[in-house]
Amino acid sequence: MSPMMTIAKREFRSYFDSPLAYVVICLTFLLLGLAVFWVGGFWKVDRASVHLLFQYMPVALAMLIVPVVTMRSMAEEKRSGTLEMLITLPVKDSDVILGKYFGALGLVLILVLATALYPMAMFWAPWNLGPLDMGPVWSGYVGLVLFSGTAVAIGLLVSSLTDSQAVAFFITFFVLVVLWFIGTAAEHVDKEWLANALMYVSFQSRLDGFSRGLIDTRDVIFFLSAMVLALVMAFRALERRRWV
Amino acid sequence: MTSDVMISASGLTKQFGSNRALDNVTFDVTRGEVVGFLGPNGAGKSTTMRVLTCFLAPTAGTATVHGFDVFEDPLAVRRSLGYLPQRAPLYSDMNVQEYLLFAAQVRGMDESTFKSRLSKVIEVCGLAQTLTKQIAHLSHGYRQRVGLGQALIHDPPILILDEPTSDLDPNEKAEVLRYIKDIGENRTILLSTHNLAEVEDSCARAIIISKGRVVADGALDEIRSTTGRVRYVVAVDEKMAEGAHKPPSARELQAALDALKGVRGSKELPTDEKAHRFELSGAQDSDLRAELYRLMVQKGWTLLELRRDAQSLDAVFRELTRGDEELDRGRPVIDDDEDDDDSAENSDDKE
Repeated sequence: MSPMMTIAKREFRSYFDSPLAYVVICLTFLLLGLAVFWVGGFWKVDRASVHLLFQYMPVALAMLIVPVVTMRSMAEEKRSGTLEMLITLPVKDSDVILGKYFGALGLVLILVLATALYPMAMFWAPWNLGPLDMGPVWSGYVGLVLFSGTAVAIGLLVSSLTDSQAVAFFITFFVLVVLWFIGTAAEHVDKEWLANALMYVSFQSRLDGFSRGLIDTRDVIFFLSAMVLALVMAFRALERRRWV
Repeated sequence: MTSDVMISASGLTKQFGSNRALDNVTFDVTRGEVVGFLGPNGAGKSTTMRVLTCFLAPTAGTATVHGFDVFEDPLAVRRSLGYLPQRAPLYSDMNVQEYLLFAAQVRGMDESTFKSRLSKVIEVCGLAQTLTKQIAHLSHGYRQRVGLGQALIHDPPILILDEPTSDLDPNEKAEVLRYIKDIGENRTILLSTHNLAEVEDSCARAIIISKGRVVADGALDEIRSTTGRVRYVVAVDEKMAEGAHKPPSARELQAALDALKGVRGSKELPTDEKAHRFELSGAQDSDLRAELYRLMVQKGWTLLELRRDAQSLDAVFRELTRGDEELDRGRPVIDDDEDDDDSAENSDDKE
């Protein structure tokens, strides 16, 4: 196993050694259930659609899951000094960043994929409320996976800039929420270029197509480049320790 | 440079903002040496070790470990050494065996090699009973052992240990030091500490660093003699004297001792006995004992103790590392309290 995979595996396992992973999983399902079936009005829509799921899940990811999961990844290592132990093993700095990234992403993706239980329960077994159009479901999940990848990279970047978990949580929360709702803000801006720019970076408008069954290469490339950019910056932040 | 040089630092300088943590640090460590790396807190011991382990990059200068340059081949450097950082930071959510397995896997060790190395590490670090315990629940001494185990799991030719015995109780300390001596036979070890007794026990050579500079480097005896002084301890009974002579008062005795030719200073030492006890320092190449004896006979005083030894490493250390420069450099001066604590610890160890 490569050093990167060893680090990723350790990282992933460590979530389950503390109550954190269980709390996040339970809380997510509870809140998502409430949002979709109660607040969102799943029953009122009266259509075989899980559009609501793709509307609420990214918000849960941005506001709860990703900040909680990524807050400690680098920050805690720096605070407790274990980073020194880790980095002085024969590993590249990039192995450390990618290992941490895939460890955290692994947990987030499990949560994302576990939400498929809702459409399965509603439209297949035990209930069969009607024929579900699978196209938007698949594309919706592609969008969620891409969004998770980007959000986790941003969380990791923030975590590698501080040694406080609390600071990492709030900044990640803030950045992701702003990037999510910035599209809504664009509607109230009268300068067209600014509105366009805001729409361009808005996660919400980028994800909209996916939940309607539309996979646009521009959106895919947007998420992939944001993810790579955040990872490269996190790598630089880690490397910086050597020179200051 | 011969191939036997395992660690070589040349002109290492590290600047943290306006603070120069290392200033032209140069030394070599050859195969099989156990070298004590000494200095007060904040002298630059850990910084040097972090440069050697490629955790930090020096501002200027170069270093090679096992022949590999820390800039050009950091992975090869790290592969050939085992490193125990200060205070042994470990993942507290893992148990001991998991942690050691993790370190071995990151180093690319296969399962069967790990098993055989693990049993060796368990034996030498005394981890048999803690193997399945969570690291969070271990005492500091045991964490230190696990950290040492982690540094040894791949059987490295070079060990860099940053204060491996801090926070250990005297038994544990002795155990770790004995072990370091054992493994030092075919390994190269650089071990930092501010506890001098440890160096005297386990190392043949010491490098003393102060304010980022190497102030002494050599065999312990050489270092002891660098200040060019010999120490004498003299105790004279304060109640009894020969015949009609009167026992001396402390002041009288000190005046008489200071008046002897070759005495470069005296200091009263505490004692439990009913005696005056003084420490004298004299030149390296002279012997004052005959003079002292004649003085006692002439005055009719009762000599209870007379001892000559090379200056203790402790005294050399203080002399070399104390300076006004700390103030110039805006660093806090090492206060005496801490030193006193250390020497109290040292005497505990010897008992």
